[in-house]
Amino acid sequence: MIETIIRERANGNPVLENTTRTKLVIKGFNPDKYTATSEDDPAKIAELKVIAKDMGITL
Amino acid sequence: MNAITLSTTKPSVNDAVNDLKEQCGDFKPKMLLFFASSGYEPGSLAGAMKDAFGDLPVFGCTTAGEIGNGSLLKGSIVAMALNDRIIEDLKVGVVRDLSNPEGIRTVFSEFESYYGQPMTELDFTKYVGIILIDGLSGAEERTMDRIGDLTNLLFVGGSAGDDLRFASTYVFADGKAYTNAAVLALLKPATEFDLIKTQSFIAMDTTLLPTKVNEEAREVLEFNGKPASVAYAEALGVSPDDLAAHFMQHPVGLLAGDDIFVRSPRQVSGESVFFYCNVKEGVDLAVLESTDIVADTRAAVQEKLQKLGGISALINFNCILRTLDLEDRGLSAAYGSLFSDIPAIGFSTYGEEYIGHINQTATMLVFH
Repeated sequence: MIETIIRERANGNPVLENTTRTKLVIKGFNPDKYTATSEDDPAKIAELKVIAKDMGITL
Repeated sequence: MNAITLSTTKPSVNDAVNDLKEQCGDFKPKMLLFFASSGYEPGSLAGAMKDAFGDLPVFGCTTAGEIGNGSLLKGSIVAMALNDRIIEDLKVGVVRDLSNPEGIRTVFSEFESYYGQPMTELDFTKYVGIILIDGLSGAEERTMDRIGDLTNLLFVGGSAGDDLRFASTYVFADGKAYTNAAVLALLKPATEFDLIKTQSFIAMDTTLLPTKVNEEAREVLEFNGKPASVAYAEALGVSPDDLAAHFMQHPVGLLAGDDIFVRSPRQVSGESVFFYCNVKEGVDLAVLESTDIVADTRAAVQEKLQKLGGISALINFNCILRTLDLEDRGLSAAYGSLFSDIPAIGFSTYGEEYIGHINQTATMLVFH
């Protein structure tokens, strides 16, 4: 989900990718701390869905 | 000269504004930005600036000290006039009530109508925003969060001050003074531009994990499952009773790659630690150690000078905590002199804006 948000917002632009990563860090989601094997936390997933919606991204 | 700086210390609003107008002379600005000591009556100042400069977009805010003429100033007004060789176009909007979650969207709709493109599609390499926001509203985080949600454009700026009175701060636009408000200006520069974000800290090896916070109150009750002040003091190897004395040199920071977003502690109350910005529960914070503000800022400005091949205008949003630290160390003149050869103005802020709300940082907008 995190990578989808970054990909959708950055649209391949590395500067925007970095900015979006920083936005997520400030929102409390450090992309570097999550991997595909990270444990699914329903509360965190719900928060990410709200962030995606606020950013106008359909997951 | 495509940007000129103006400053005055005349005590009356009318004399001060007339002085600024006179200094502007025959220069033809496209916009005028000003930062004023809270000693000037805000409503009168806003009206007088509009009367003096007519239909020109004029906007600004109150301060906790001004930066101009290569000096850190107090009790003054500094202003910068930029012509159409630097600013091709701009639109200024006001969020009149920061508690209204739709306020940003309303101003963005005005920008979209003006520029004829959605905020999601405007090119971040061609447009840049300035934000000046009530520094006592506690609303900076959600405002910057919302801006970041709605656009890829970068907004840089600062939280208005009131000379450390902590009573009320104001932003100015349209000949009016607003509180609980933010002024947003969306610029289309006619020349190359860039941003500087500089903070003089390195991350120590120690981290603190906020495990219990009251985010709205900017309060951390627990770090690492312990009372916040106890864990913070342990991290620094000092007594909890002495902790506050170490805040200036040892704030904490969010690490985003190699970049640091500083969160500055304000005070210890009971066993809680209150901050100047939100701290998120469950998000690691690095304990920071201060470095040399003058040397670091010089390096940051020089880097942009070389990258842009010259700076024709610089706007500096410099944290009041940096200003106080510079004063304590007798380095105010050395800091001010970093900007003596550049048309530059700025102010001492109650917080800095760049992607989010940050502390103990200087954010700057520079134009070639």
